[in-house]
Amino acid sequence: MFKLNLKIALRNLWKNKGITAINVGGLSIALAAFILVMMYFTYETSFDKKNPNYDNIYVVGRTFPDFKTNFTPPPLAKAIKEAFAEVVAVGKMKPSGFEFAAFTDQGTVFTKKQLFMEYEAAKMFNIIPEGGLEKPNGTETFYYLSKPYMQTLYPNKTDNKPEIVSFGSKAEPMSGQVKGSIVPNPHSNISFDAVSIVNEIGAGESYGYPNYYTYIQVKPGTDIATLESKINTLYQAELKKNGMIEEGENATVTTAFLDPLKNQHLRPKAGNDANYKVLIALSLLGFAILIIACINFTNLSIAQATKRAKEVGVKKVMGAFRYQLTAQFLIEILVQCFIATLLSLVIAEIILPQFNRLFLVDLTIWQIDNDLIWQLPIILVFITLIAGYYPAMVLSGFKPVAVLKGNFQTSRQTYWLRNSLLVTQFSVAVIFITGLLIINSQLKYMRTQDVGFNPNQVLRVKNIVYFNDPEKFAPIKEKILKVPGVKATTVANILPDGSETGSNGYTANGTQASLDFIDVDYDYFETLDIKLKEGRLFSAEFKGDAQNAAILNEAAVARFGLKDPIGKVVRGCNTDYTIVGVIKDFKANGFEKAVEPSIYSINNPCGNGKTEIMIKVDENQMAAVLATLKANWKDINKRDGDNFRYEFLDEMYGKLFKKQEQLQSVFFAAAMLTILIAILGLFAFAKYITNGRIKEIAVRKILGANDLQIFKLLNTSFFYMVMIANIISWPLAYILTKKWLETFVYRVDISALPFIISGLITVLLTIVTVTLQARAAVKANPVNALKYE
Amino acid sequence: MITIENLEKVYKTEEIETTALNGINLHVATGEFVSIMGPSGCGKSTLLNVMGLLDKPESGSYKFIDTELLTLNDRERSNFRKRNMGFVFQNFNLIDELTVFENIELPLIYNKVPAGERKKLVNEIIGRMNIVNRSGHFPQQLSGGQQQRVAVARALVTKPKLVLADEPTGNLDSTHGNEVMELLCELNETGTTIVMVTHSSHDASFSNRIINLKDGHVISEKINKGKTEELI
Ligand SMILES: Nc1ncnc2c1ncn2[C@@H]1O[C@H](COP(=O)(O)OP(=O)(O)OP(=O)(O)O)[C@@H](O)[C@H]1O
Ligand SMILES: [Mg+2]
Repeated sequence: MFKLNLKIALRNLWKNKGITAINVGGLSIALAAFILVMMYFTYETSFDKKNPNYDNIYVVGRTFPDFKTNFTPPPLAKAIKEAFAEVVAVGKMKPSGFEFAAFTDQGTVFTKKQLFMEYEAAKMFNIIPEGGLEKPNGTETFYYLSKPYMQTLYPNKTDNKPEIVSFGSKAEPMSGQVKGSIVPNPHSNISFDAVSIVNEIGAGESYGYPNYYTYIQVKPGTDIATLESKINTLYQAELKKNGMIEEGENATVTTAFLDPLKNQHLRPKAGNDANYKVLIALSLLGFAILIIACINFTNLSIAQATKRAKEVGVKKVMGAFRYQLTAQFLIEILVQCFIATLLSLVIAEIILPQFNRLFLVDLTIWQIDNDLIWQLPIILVFITLIAGYYPAMVLSGFKPVAVLKGNFQTSRQTYWLRNSLLVTQFSVAVIFITGLLIINSQLKYMRTQDVGFNPNQVLRVKNIVYFNDPEKFAPIKEKILKVPGVKATTVANILPDGSETGSNGYTANGTQASLDFIDVDYDYFETLDIKLKEGRLFSAEFKGDAQNAAILNEAAVARFGLKDPIGKVVRGCNTDYTIVGVIKDFKANGFEKAVEPSIYSINNPCGNGKTEIMIKVDENQMAAVLATLKANWKDINKRDGDNFRYEFLDEMYGKLFKKQEQLQSVFFAAAMLTILIAILGLFAFAKYITNGRIKEIAVRKILGANDLQIFKLLNTSFFYMVMIANIISWPLAYILTKKWLETFVYRVDISALPFIISGLITVLLTIVTVTLQARAAVKANPVNALKYE
Repeated sequence: MITIENLEKVYKTEEIETTALNGINLHVATGEFVSIMGPSGCGKSTLLNVMGLLDKPESGSYKFIDTELLTLNDRERSNFRKRNMGFVFQNFNLIDELTVFENIELPLIYNKVPAGERKKLVNEIIGRMNIVNRSGHFPQQLSGGQQQRVAVARALVTKPKLVLADEPTGNLDSTHGNEVMELLCELNETGTTIVMVTHSSHDASFSNRIINLKDGHVISEKINKGKTEELI
């Protein structure tokens, strides 16, 4: 029986090659998208998951009134370790903010992400250098470089012995021992390209040095809420004991919290969950596309049901049970889904490089421990049931008496279902098209809007030296300015590329406010082409500027409610600053955040080190300037050495748009996919409907209808369905895009245009598709159609 | 073999109720060849469908030998049907995706006949039906008469006790129609009971007895003397 059923199935599929291809093809495309999304989802949600202690590792962080941070003072770690038996291990880490050059005679590498790590933390995170993890003795430091770096520095090295390597510039090198190489796990929250392993870091530092990450590993089954509150109590007590909280001060200004390792990658408490939201949105998209493809499948299967009705009737007359027929149809659909799955793997493999580039990951399909091995069969069963259950039930439910009379039509029974499925498909397509159009207009707005400063032709030069004192930077500035083509240069604590600076309390006009502070050097505003509103910019001619002059932005002036700001005093960080100028607000943080009230000063005792060198270059002399700077850099900035490394500020600023550009690509792909699938479905469906009406068309033509009237007749119902789809999805698209736009402080207004355009696109595509299909039927000689009956 | 008493069948649609069978009483003896005639819409097909367990009547009784069939559940009906009955339809109802051989083989498969035996039985009947050189063809490649012979072969291959035929010659010209009628007669002569619906008195003349229906009633019965005499 199986053999015969198989024959029927295959011959049927072959007879309807076109529709089968559309069915399987559409499904496999959607499935490919889904597989990619699923792989990405699995990857993103399984950082560190292979760590045997995965469920028991927590980060200790601190909550301030307006932000959270994972940076903790070193004595806290020690106190936790001593106080709580349920904490089995505590380990600290500290990132280094600088890019270091390491070199030998054979080559030079730049470590971009160095970590100082305690042995216990290394053990907790399974960090194993080649040759095994060794415990340092006493204050010994074991320094490991990532494998590719080691190969550059020591191309001929075959043993595992330590080597001496030089750091910094060749003019003023420091040297140190490299114990060996390590292959960092790219799928871990702890990422680095060089790591120093020691027994204890921050040993002498007090509660005033919150520069360390503290990780704890707890006994399995520990009640985390209780432990968290115990740790917080301990933290408060320690603060008091160490004189960090003065009498009368509110003790709970900062509190300690625990954050599980499994949340670190996507939604850490100290940080944002934007990536998590993107991941969820992406997963929903992938799922929606898959469901649409399944709907297509269902629809086409039902549409073709009439063709199989006789088979069902005859088999039932011969004594087949319904469940046998249900099983038969389900297996048929399973086979198609199986083929679609195989195809989808091929498609996914083809798209994967693009996908990896877009999402900055390195996923592969063909690898043994891939979760796809168990996920795919589940998906296969799932889509078979979604796509096949209803058709199988409809088909196997036919009453033989009705079917075998000879003029059986299924269309009436499933009319509503088929039409609503079609409407659903088009609704989703409309949402994606509208969404894409609105995303495009917001991105266009962001690219063309004046951001209030000019990052173009500004170089950011990498540097490891603090230039807090303008006098220290002056000689370097002088040398840079000597290069023909350099227009201006400055140094600051941060770049206007969305980086977070610190904030502090300031008082002016009797008002206290928290301002972002930016520590700058002379020519900061000139280099970045920031517009002055009133007063003046910093200048070396005014002796006081290096001590206590400040420039505010409009937002800060507004915050203090200052009427006539120039000459007024702002007090903060034990300093009385005189306001010498006000600049216009500029969007250093992109379009998502409002411009923060900010204070710019050359001297800031509470500030951070100024290391970010920026150079404004004449557009036409860029290449020459770069060449000259490269050649002269070791004279200009000795400590940083022979390695002139730079980035373009506009590119760095552009990275603020990266997420939106990802979203745009995803929506573009999703819109294309859903349209493609919906059109494929419509194409086959229209063919089916037209075929079913061949006799009607012939009769109408004999009675005098012309071609246009027939086209209209065939298009009308589809036209209405697409219009209904539009009307349903417009409000949905409006709500969704509005929500998205609300994540931007600076945004476009939603106009009617995107909605009208997506309406036009879908209607046009529908008419073209249906008309193409109807042509054969309309052009045919009506006599043939009737004779055939 | 068959005893039907007070059979009633009502079709309910949104607007009207149609009483298709209105108290039918009928007896068919084993080995008999019965024709059912009557004007269009009088309930002939309905009666045949009820006899074939494809449709359920509202009330009445239907005994096959000694078994009451109307109380069976769906599964038992299916089982009973595939063991005891064969069907021939006016519009052939062959499965387009299966060859002649495979179409005929299908009921044997549902009756779980082993493959070797199936092959023997199908080939035997194909020989009898005179369609040997067509066994690999698909239905669309056959003439109407040939298709109906395949349909008859399919009805017979399980050697059913009862064959039900609804206007088996309705779509055929007289030559092909006669061929099919002769097949049915041969079959009847080997002992199979046949109930056939027809509009043609010519076809009816092949049977032993003619039952006339009108508005869901049996209005008359006629023993076919000629046929009986012919037999003697
Ligand atoms: N599925 C149905 N729903 C409603 N009424 C039905 C249905 N099938 C048959 N009928 C009605 O039942 C009556 C008997 O129908 P039936 O098909 O048995 O007639 P018939 O004697 O076979 O006619 P014909 O010789 O034209 O085939 C008719 O009046 C018909 O309209
Ligand atoms: Mg009839």
